[in-house]
Amino acid sequence: MSERPKLTIPDAGMLGSAHTRRDILKLMAMGGALVLLPGAIACSNDDGIVGPGGNPGPGTGNTVTIDFAKGDIAVLQFAYALEQLEADFYTKVVDAFGSSNLTAAEKTVLTDIKYHEVIHREFLKAALGSINGFSLTPTYGTLNFNDRTAVLNTAKTFEDLGVAAYNGAGQYLSDPNNLLLAGKIVSVEARHAAAIRDLINPKSGDFAPKAFDDVFSPSKVRGSAQGFVVDKLAFSNAPTTFIQGPNGNG
Amino acid sequence: MNKLPLVESIDPEIISALDARANEISQGASVDSKIAALLALGSIPIALGALSKDVYGQTPSDVLDVLQFALLLEYLEAEFYTRGTAATGLIPAADRVIFETIRDHENTHVTALQTMITAKGATPNAKPNFDFTAKGNLAGFNFGSTQYETFKALAMAFEDTGVRAYKGQAGRLINDKPVLNAALAIHAVEARHASEVRRLRGKKGWITGNSREDLPAFTQGIYDGEENLMQGGVNVSTLPLVSANGGATAATEAFDEPLTKAQVVAIVTPFLA
Repeated sequence: MSERPKLTIPDAGMLGSAHTRRDILKLMAMGGALVLLPGAIACSNDDGIVGPGGNPGPGTGNTVTIDFAKGDIAVLQFAYALEQLEADFYTKVVDAFGSSNLTAAEKTVLTDIKYHEVIHREFLKAALGSINGFSLTPTYGTLNFNDRTAVLNTAKTFEDLGVAAYNGAGQYLSDPNNLLLAGKIVSVEARHAAAIRDLINPKSGDFAPKAFDDVFSPSKVRGSAQGFVVDKLAFSNAPTTFIQGPNGNG
Repeated sequence: MNKLPLVESIDPEIISALDARANEISQGASVDSKIAALLALGSIPIALGALSKDVYGQTPSDVLDVLQFALLLEYLEAEFYTRGTAATGLIPAADRVIFETIRDHENTHVTALQTMITAKGATPNAKPNFDFTAKGNLAGFNFGSTQYETFKALAMAFEDTGVRAYKGQAGRLINDKPVLNAALAIHAVEARHASEVRRLRGKKGWITGNSREDLPAFTQGIYDGEENLMQGGVNVSTLPLVSANGGATAATEAFDEPLTKAQVVAIVTPFLA
């Protein structure tokens, strides 16, 4: 096979220039390959804005851009962002066990979930490698990690969001192996969601409130996740189409 | 070009996908050389067939096969919970809402799958007759008032099977996004059911290793392979921080594994009358 034309973009700043955009269009017309070097996907360094009380508020830090031109890699980066958030949250929950009013049975469940989320994060970190990896700084505002109700309700939010996020990202995966990997993780997130909901409202129908789980677009998920992340979550080359799931609410 | 009867009979969605792909090819997109040769020869019907595979990766018949297969599993679950919730004295009052919720979901899944199959121009397979004793493995089970433990054990077996069955079929739906979305949306709900039923039985909501817990030996096929530690070519138990976070045990819990269609058929066959 003959060598395809190739355009190399070393840093994010160049992506914005009209000249670069023209080159990309020309290249794509020729069936060429676009190579984004680490600088083109890494964060641009905005100064973090410190909010009231000295804590940086959501979205006030560095911009972390997920470039969907990277195809399946971008979907895995999107999952990695969510798993970083979940792993950090449950780590803080477990660290606060000594002073929290969670029951022993609840602590057992939350410890298992912390293990699973840390493992998901470490797996995606290894899968993405240093070039496609990034580190987010979570923020929880005034959340009281000693308070059972606050912890369980936040856990419910994260687990339901995680399920809907993986479900909605599936349509952007082109490699069946990656689709299977996402499937292996999403059902565990759904098991978590049901368990957390059962702790909040035992033996009710809340463990599975709908016959079909939600299927959320990446941009909808980003909107929800941003409230828990200091870094500004950004997409480039975001998909222009999203096929809705059965609930039509993505 | 003149519309051939063959072309008229094909789903408009397929025609538009084929048309878009043919345009790409005419503009120089890479394509299998056999398809290019067929197009060059003007062998329209043969090229159409080949292109259909080229566009979808899987043919529409793969998608239909998945839908009919899923329908069988949902028929099994729907009938199981419908009979269970209708049986006198089987389910204690405090647990009824759990099983009524699951029953309603499974019946909704049956209807949705039938609708999708019909929309693709096919006829949904009829519901078979079921044998919930699993050919005598659960001799005497008939939703009797003293058989709640067996009912819950079967529910756990069916839900854990459902999760793995849908997961194993996702790849065959990768190019039919609406059906993929529906399958993923059902897959996650089956996982919620599984977690709830397992916890109701005093088990963890997730599967540890290949443990069937206290289920009878004939259900072992539902759990075989769940002990897998290799994900994307990486042994997850060797990654940083994993040993301090539950180690290999948690690593098997953190990933649910797929079952092939043949494996699921082997699991379900004893329940077919």
